[in-house]
Amino acid sequence: MPAIKVTDLKKVFKSKRKEAGMLGSLRSLTHPEYKTIEAVCGLSFEMEAGELLGFIGPNGAGKSTTIKILTGILFPTGGDASVLGYTPWRDRHKLAYQIGTVFGQRPQLWYHLPAIDTFTLFGKIYELDELVLKRRIGFLAETFEIGDLLEIPVRKLSLGQRMRCETAASLLHSPKLLLLDEPSIGLDVVAKQRIRDAIREMSKLENVGVLLTSHDAGDLEALCRRVIIINHGQIVYHDKVSNLKRKYLTSKLVEVRYAAEVNQDFQIYGMETLKVGRYGVKLRFDTKNTSVDLVMSRLSEKGSLVDITISDPPLEEVIARIYEEAA
Amino acid sequence: MLKRELTFLFALWRANLQGAMEFRVSFLLQIFGMVANNLLYFAFWPVFFSHFDDIHGWTLNDMLIVMAIVSFSWGIMTFLFGNFNFISEVIANGRLDYYLSLPRPVLTHLLASRSNVSGLGDIAFGVVAYLLSGQFQPEQILRLLFGVCISGTILLFFMTLVHSLTFWVGNATELGNLGVNALLTFSLYPITIFDNTARFFLIIFVPALLVGSVPAQFVKAFSWQGLVQLSLGALVLTALAITVFTRGLRRYESGSAIQVEV
Repeated sequence: MPAIKVTDLKKVFKSKRKEAGMLGSLRSLTHPEYKTIEAVCGLSFEMEAGELLGFIGPNGAGKSTTIKILTGILFPTGGDASVLGYTPWRDRHKLAYQIGTVFGQRPQLWYHLPAIDTFTLFGKIYELDELVLKRRIGFLAETFEIGDLLEIPVRKLSLGQRMRCETAASLLHSPKLLLLDEPSIGLDVVAKQRIRDAIREMSKLENVGVLLTSHDAGDLEALCRRVIIINHGQIVYHDKVSNLKRKYLTSKLVEVRYAAEVNQDFQIYGMETLKVGRYGVKLRFDTKNTSVDLVMSRLSEKGSLVDITISDPPLEEVIARIYEEAA
Repeated sequence: MLKRELTFLFALWRANLQGAMEFRVSFLLQIFGMVANNLLYFAFWPVFFSHFDDIHGWTLNDMLIVMAIVSFSWGIMTFLFGNFNFISEVIANGRLDYYLSLPRPVLTHLLASRSNVSGLGDIAFGVVAYLLSGQFQPEQILRLLFGVCISGTILLFFMTLVHSLTFWVGNATELGNLGVNALLTFSLYPITIFDNTARFFLIIFVPALLVGSVPAQFVKAFSWQGLVQLSLGALVLTALAITVFTRGLRRYESGSAIQVEV
């Protein structure tokens, strides 16, 4: 039985339209106009138990709405979904014992209390035996490297530290499935890596299925075997991550900053120059033909490096290429 | 099942209290500030009754019982279920996600997730007001406890009902403020100043009399009418508020607002 089975899922929101300015506000008061927004339009997919599935798309694609329907937070407008054998919006209570959720923009840890106090409260919420809870906290503290953070009020933690505690909190009751909605949002590269490592470790150790939404292709590469890309509430790509990488994530962007001013006709063999500033340059290179090592050595030959960032192309670009190919 | 929910509620209240005690000065200021606030409010009545004997039979002693009941019930509810005045805000800002993703009854969890420590000041003031009223017969004390429970239940579920309209009207925060002001203001007036039409309105639409005067009369002297009015009022309002909130959940739209604290 699949862990998640979604069939023709739909969610429509009604939204008020208003023209700009005071006159628009008055008109909207007397003659309100509404438009319907199709956040999710007939999604169908399956996810196996213990699988790590990436669910990515640009902002407003319908990722969070789908996750919220799958956790029972939102009622769908149409279609069907089964999560671990439960219909989320009907069996929300029972399902909540089996799944863990992390919403990157919605903390669940109590802001003014140390994380350990929220963990204790969650122990009561999930009705965990005190000894079991204590052992579990010890295990998660080790996996997520949060042992020395547990007694510090959450408001005093960095975003990366807090997100590690948030993710650990969602695993306290040993869920079979973890639904992560933008867990790496706002994190720096190191913090992202630590979260990804801990999630991968937990999935391996306890066979926890992970459905991850993100608009960062890096999350996907690091964690998932299969990917679904959605845009405007519809699936635009559904395949293995290895195939996506081979077909679409073939280039990387490099932003580099030098100690001295750079030449305005800055060029490096095998790289496309996108933008040249006074001290910085933005370039693109094809990962099939050029290795990161080679890029680094060629860039450092040009002068003394102050800062360098290597990233994936934005998802919007990948989606545009998928559409182009389909057309 | 009841034991399970009570264990959860006690854990939640303990966390609320721990959160409040993180800021020691603010914690104490809120309690003593509320006692001072209630004293200033009540100071009007001894002055008033030093010039007039009663208002259509309503005396200073009756006012003391009303103050005791309203302060007790308001204090207990704001301390134990302090989110009742913030339900609209939570719904409108999409913060119900947190409660909906955990395996506990949503409304109970939501209501009990905030403790206003100023409620402890109200409770302390209620004790003083009741001691001054001199109603110490055991049956009067039992009726006081019953009256406080009913008054608190009506207060809690009237506000839950008003705020739950957010699911339909978008944001009922101001409506909630209006509701709580009307409820508290009219609950602290003597019942004898209202004619039958006003009494009907203040029992059915804004049940202020069921929060203050009717339980106060019931404490002073038992009556079947008072018992039925109070019990029926609390039952109907509880059922109505829970139904409206539960139906409203189907219309919940969440949101994408970034939240920085719980």
